[in-house]
Amino acid sequence: MSTSDSRQRRLAGRLRRPLLGLVGVAAFILLWKLAYMFTWAPRGTLPDPFSIPAALVNEWRNNHLLPAVGSSLIHYVWGLAVGTLLGFGVGLLAASSSWFDDFHYMLARVLRPIPPLAWVVFAIAWFHVSHAGAAFVISIGVFWVNYFATAAGVANVDPRYYELAQAFGHGSFIKRVTSITLPGAAPGILSGMRTGVGQAWMTLIAAELLGVPGMGQQMNAAAGVGAYGAVVVYMLAISLIYSISDGLFSLVQNRLLRWRP
Amino acid sequence: MSDALVRVADLTFGYPGAKQPVFRGLDLNIAEGEFVALVGGSGVGKSTLLRNVAGLVPATSGRIQFARPCSAGRRDTAFVFQDTRLLPWRRVRANVGYGLTGLKLSADERHARIDETLRLTAMTDYGDRWPHAVSGGQAQRVGLARALAVRPRLLLMDEPFSAVDALTRQHLQDQLIEIWQRLGMAVLFVTHDIEEAAYLADRVCVMRGSPAEIVHDETVAMRHPRNRNDNDFRRFTQRVANQL
Ligand SMILES: Nc1ncnc2c1ncn2[C@@H]1O[C@H](COP(=O)(O)OP(=O)(O)OP(=O)(O)O)[C@@H](O)[C@H]1O
Ligand SMILES: [Mg+2]
Repeated sequence: MSTSDSRQRRLAGRLRRPLLGLVGVAAFILLWKLAYMFTWAPRGTLPDPFSIPAALVNEWRNNHLLPAVGSSLIHYVWGLAVGTLLGFGVGLLAASSSWFDDFHYMLARVLRPIPPLAWVVFAIAWFHVSHAGAAFVISIGVFWVNYFATAAGVANVDPRYYELAQAFGHGSFIKRVTSITLPGAAPGILSGMRTGVGQAWMTLIAAELLGVPGMGQQMNAAAGVGAYGAVVVYMLAISLIYSISDGLFSLVQNRLLRWRP
Repeated sequence: MSDALVRVADLTFGYPGAKQPVFRGLDLNIAEGEFVALVGGSGVGKSTLLRNVAGLVPATSGRIQFARPCSAGRRDTAFVFQDTRLLPWRRVRANVGYGLTGLKLSADERHARIDETLRLTAMTDYGDRWPHAVSGGQAQRVGLARALAVRPRLLLMDEPFSAVDALTRQHLQDQLIEIWQRLGMAVLFVTHDIEEAAYLADRVCVMRGSPAEIVHDETVAMRHPRNRNDNDFRRFTQRVANQL
């Protein structure tokens, strides 16, 4: 009797969070619906929340959704890959060579504060309105995130491990980097990469709003003809794809860092 | 002393920027298979001397010479650190094997070496653990195993047991003696604990002064296993303590 009582209580405790979460979403949709019914926003700019599924079906049937997602993903993957690799490489170099550190620090201080979107002008001038242009803009933001995370991660590796490496025949540069620096800095490097995975989406959509084909451009086009339901469809698609990519990355991250307590 | 494994002769070492060297003109010979304990006050330079012998820092002047070149599959020295310094991203097995890459062993030989060393240190059951999942005493044994795996001619131990509780320490000391008798390597063992030095070593050296010298060097004429309550033992520790 009392054990089944406590089991029920434990079950209720575990269900509390998802249930309250659903209630929170429902409350938001209700508020939205009220805003729609009482036209709190300028007329015609706020879609009916219950029209969103129909808008989704419509975007799908028109064959707008998938090509836009595909195009965005191309920018995303290229921009993310290039920015991550370069940021990681330069960050590693900056933290492991004092010569390179001295050589580049001033340049980095000048370039760092320039927002990635400021590069759109050059992206369009150099690459025109193309996949490469969008990838270029994305890679800039991702570069800085990875550059700083890698440099800090490497700088924070406990120097006593380097003495260990030397004592056990891992004193050469390559062996030191592979056996100490990279695994030791991996937590910082990977959390930087994960931030980059999110940051890339933010820049991506903004870059596409300026005209490169993809979800951002579709949103702009839909808004131009007053199809705000479609805008919401793309917003939700962005949210979904971000969640998937972040979830996949966190799997990789946990796998690589499973040595941590 | 013609059978010395390592001769430290006229060794001077100072850290860059320091006003005076840590030690100057220091001499120390260690025979093949000999267990030498090094005691001395904090900051006198014991760890620095081990770092010199291990070749981790270059001597300012003087010589550190090993008799004949080391045989294949072994290293001249291996280090056991007080803070264990296990690599947290390697499982126990991989930590033990850390010094074996570059030793020209086949993969089979490497695995056999690791297995054997884990058996010697009674850590066979823990090979697949992550370092965070072993106790302090077990971690110290893994640190010892990692050093033993390279079958060093001279094992350098820097206060290896000072961070574990008294009972575990005695257990580890007995285990070390057993391993030393089995493998027959020489040991240079730094400790603050004179009793530990007298319990383990063939010879106890006292380091003192600034720059430091070896001011006392005495052979321990007692057989293993030694009795800490024995009169000879007590007199010995007393004599060494007077030199500190
Ligand atoms: N990396 C270093 N750079 C400069 N000085 C150092 C360095 N390491 C140690 N020293 C100095 O060298 C001297 C000897 O240090 P060492 O660590 O060898 O002493 P120790 O005998 O091992 O002491 P303890 O018993 O406390 O471990 C000390 O005065 C210390 O301050
Ligand atoms: Mg010390």
